[in-house]
Amino acid sequence: MTAGPQSSGEPQTTVSIVAGPLVGPVLRRVVGMLAARADLPLDRLDDAVLVADLIAARAPAHVSGSRVDVALEPGARSLSLKVGPLRPGGGQALIIDAAVPGVGNVIEQLADELSVSPEDSGEYLHVRLAYAATTA
Amino acid sequence: MSDNRFSPGLGEGEQESRGSDVRLTLPARPENVAVVRHVLGAFAEALQLPDPLIEDMRLAVTEACTNVVRHAYSDGEPGPAEILIRPEGDSLLVVVTDKGRGLGPSADSTGPGLGLPLIAALSHSFEIEQVPDNGARLRMSFRRGSELESV
Repeated sequence: MTAGPQSSGEPQTTVSIVAGPLVGPVLRRVVGMLAARADLPLDRLDDAVLVADLIAARAPAHVSGSRVDVALEPGARSLSLKVGPLRPGGGQALIIDAAVPGVGNVIEQLADELSVSPEDSGEYLHVRLAYAATTA
Repeated sequence: MSDNRFSPGLGEGEQESRGSDVRLTLPARPENVAVVRHVLGAFAEALQLPDPLIEDMRLAVTEACTNVVRHAYSDGEPGPAEILIRPEGDSLLVVVTDKGRGLGPSADSTGPGLGLPLIAALSHSFEIEQVPDNGARLRMSFRRGSELESV
C-alpha cells in the first residue's frame, strides 16, 4: 500500500496522547503504519518505530503541557515527525535524553534530518527518516 | 499543536484533557481507517479490555470512520476525521467527528445502509449530531462491565 506524500491541501495527520503509558503503544503503531505506507524498507521501518519508542519514552518529560503531540507527514519513502509543543529547551533536552549508554544518541544516528524550531506555541522537534536507494 | 486544535470538532465535554485519552486527526482517506483500528487496538490492549469488546469496538469504529470517508466530503481533497478515544468510568468513549457536509442523505448513497444500525447494535449507547459550523459528530460508548483500570 503506497500512498505517497500527502497533498498540500490535505489535513495533517496528528496524534495527541495524554502523557503516560499509552504514548508508546499508540505512537509506535501510528508511526509503524505510516512508515510502511510511505514505502520505507523494513530496516528503516524498524528505525522509525525505534525513534517513535524513544520519543514516547522521553518526550513526556519535556512537553509544555500534559500531552504528547506529534504531527506526522509521510512522503515519498520518507516520514517526518514534528513533536511538540515542548517547553523552552525541551527540544535539545529530548535529543540528549535519547542517548543510550554504549550506543550513543539513537535519534541522531537514525534520523536523516533533526532540528529544533521555536514557534509561538513552544519548541518543536523535527525528525525526518528517509530511504534513498543507492544505485550501482 | 495545542489542545485547542480539536476544539471545533469536539463537544464541550470532550475538549478537556482527562485521564488517558488519545486524539487522532487524519485525512479522511480509506487507508487511514486501518490506522484508527490499530490505535484502538493499542488502547484496548493497554487497558486489557476483553477480546469481544475490542472486536465490537473495532467494527463499530470502522463503520463510523468509513461513513466519514464515504459521505462526509465531496469530491476532491478529503477533509479531517477526528477521533477521540477516552475511558470514562466503566465505559470507553469513542467520538468520531468530521467537518464535512453534515447530516442528511448524500447523493452517493441509495439509502440508509447498515452502518448506523450496526453501531447501535454493537455499542452500549450512541448519538449522532450536527456540528454547529460544519460536519457531524458520532459518540459511541462501550461498556466494559467493570471499572476500567486507571492507567
